[in-house]
Amino acid sequence: MKPPVLCCRHVTKRYGKFTALKDLSLEVYEGEIFALLGPNGAGKSTLIHCITGLAKQTQGSIEVLGFDTVNDFRTTRRLVGLVPQEIGYDPFFTPLESLMIQMGLMGVEPNRSRAESLLETFALSDKRDAYTRTLSGGMKRRLLVAKALVHDPRLLFLDEPTSGVDVELRRELWQEVEDLRTAGTTIVLTTHYIEEAEKLADRIGILHKGELLLVESRESLLERHGGRSLEEIYLELIHKADGRHAA
Amino acid sequence: MSTIALKTLFLKEVRRFSKVWLQTVLSPLVTTSLYFLVFGVALGSRLREISGVPYIQFVVPGLVMMTMIRDSFLNTSSSLFQSKINGTITDILVAPIGALEMVLAYVGAAMIRAIIVGTLVYLVALSFTWFPLHDIGWTLFFTIFVTATLALLGMIAALWAEKFDHLAIFPNFVLLPLAFLGGVFYSIDLLPEPWNTVSRLNPLLYMVNGLRYGFLGVADVSPVTSAGVVLVSFLVVLGAASALLRSGYNLRS
Repeated sequence: MKPPVLCCRHVTKRYGKFTALKDLSLEVYEGEIFALLGPNGAGKSTLIHCITGLAKQTQGSIEVLGFDTVNDFRTTRRLVGLVPQEIGYDPFFTPLESLMIQMGLMGVEPNRSRAESLLETFALSDKRDAYTRTLSGGMKRRLLVAKALVHDPRLLFLDEPTSGVDVELRRELWQEVEDLRTAGTTIVLTTHYIEEAEKLADRIGILHKGELLLVESRESLLERHGGRSLEEIYLELIHKADGRHAA
Repeated sequence: MSTIALKTLFLKEVRRFSKVWLQTVLSPLVTTSLYFLVFGVALGSRLREISGVPYIQFVVPGLVMMTMIRDSFLNTSSSLFQSKINGTITDILVAPIGALEMVLAYVGAAMIRAIIVGTLVYLVALSFTWFPLHDIGWTLFFTIFVTATLALLGMIAALWAEKFDHLAIFPNFVLLPLAFLGGVFYSIDLLPEPWNTVSRLNPLLYMVNGLRYGFLGVADVSPVTSAGVVLVSFLVVLGAASALLRSGYNLRS
C-alpha cells in the first residue's frame, strides 16, 4: 500500500455540547479516491473543514504528508485543495481573474497561461471575461473545481460536488475526478449519492453521528456482502448504528 | 509570511474598490464636496475666523479627516463582510495566509482608498481656498495612523457582524455622530462646560484636530496629545483585530 497522504488521529470536534466528530482516526493513501458517505449531519463536512483549516479540531491531530495542519498550516494548505459544498463567487471578478487571484492566494505566482489552461479543461474559456455572476450553476461549480486546482494540490477534497447538479454535469464531473486521479491527485469525496461512490471510489468510509462505522475497499466491501448493492450495505449499517444509539 | 499571497490579497482589495469607483471614490468625493460648499463656502463667508484662520479653511481638514475615517472603515468592513456572506472568504481561509497578511492586505487597501478620496477632497477645497500645508510630518502621521485605525475597526466590525444591519451601526450611529461632534465644523473652545469636557472623551476629536494642526497649525488640542490618543487607539484595535483573526472568530468554526 502507498504511504498515507492524510492521517487523522483521534480527532474530536465539539461545538458546545454537541460532538460532531468522535475520536475519529483515518488514513487516506496516495493516488486513491476515498469516498466518505454518511447522512446529513454525519460530520463529513466538519472533518473536511478540520483538515482544510475552515475549522479546528477540539482534540487529536491531523497530518497531510507528515505536516501538522495546525502547526504547519502554511505547508499543509499548499498541499490541499478544496471544492466547497456551497457555491460562493466573487461578483467583482471574472473567471480568469478569479483563477489568477486564487493562485496568488495559494502562494503561487499568478500565471495567465496556467489559468487559461484550467479554463479550457473545465470548458469555461468562452466565459473567461464574463462576470462570474452571469455563469450558470454548472459553470460556477466547474469554476470552483478549477480554483481548487490552481496550485496543483496533492490532496483534493470534493465536498458533495454533484449536489444539486443535473445528470450530464454529474457525469462530466465524474470524468474530471477520474482524470485527476490518473494525473496522480489523491481525492477525498463526500457524497449522498451511493452510486457516485460505487462508481468512483477505491475505498469507502461510512460516517454516522461523528463516528466512522466502516473503512474498507469498495471491492472487498461488495465481495464480503456478496451480491448486495452498496446502497443496501450502507442502509443496513446506518440502521444498525441508529439502533445502537437508541439502545 | 507569504509575500505572494499578501501582494495578491492587497491588489485584489485595491481592484475591488477600483472596479466600483463611482461608489467608492466619486460618491464620497461629491458628498464631502457638498459639505464644503454649504458649510465652507456658503455659510463660511458669513462667519468670523476661528482660531485665527478663515472658517472656509478651518473646515477643510475636518472634512478631509471625516471622509478618510468613513472610507477606511467602509472599505474593510464591507469587503470582509461581503466575503463572509457570499462564501468567498473560504478562498482566503483555505490558503496559506495568516492573520498578519490579512491585516496588512485589508488595511493597506483601505488606506489607499481613504487617502485617494481624502486627497481629492483636499484638492477640491484648494480650488476654493488655497493654503499651504503647515506641517507635512504631522499631516502624514495622522493620515496614516487614523486610516489604519479605522480600517482595523472596520475589520473588527465585519468579523462581529452577522447581518447588514449590524454593519450599518458603526458608520451611522457611531462614526458619523462622533465625527460631527469631534470638531469638524467648530472649535470645542466655543462649547460651554460640561460639553467642552465631554467632547474631549471623543477619540475622533483628536483625529480631526491632529490633521487640522498638520494642515493649518491650529487645533483645540496639542498635536502631541492627539498623536498619543491616536497611537493608543491604533494599538488597541490592532491588538483586537489580530487576536480575533488568530482565533478565527466568526470565520473558522
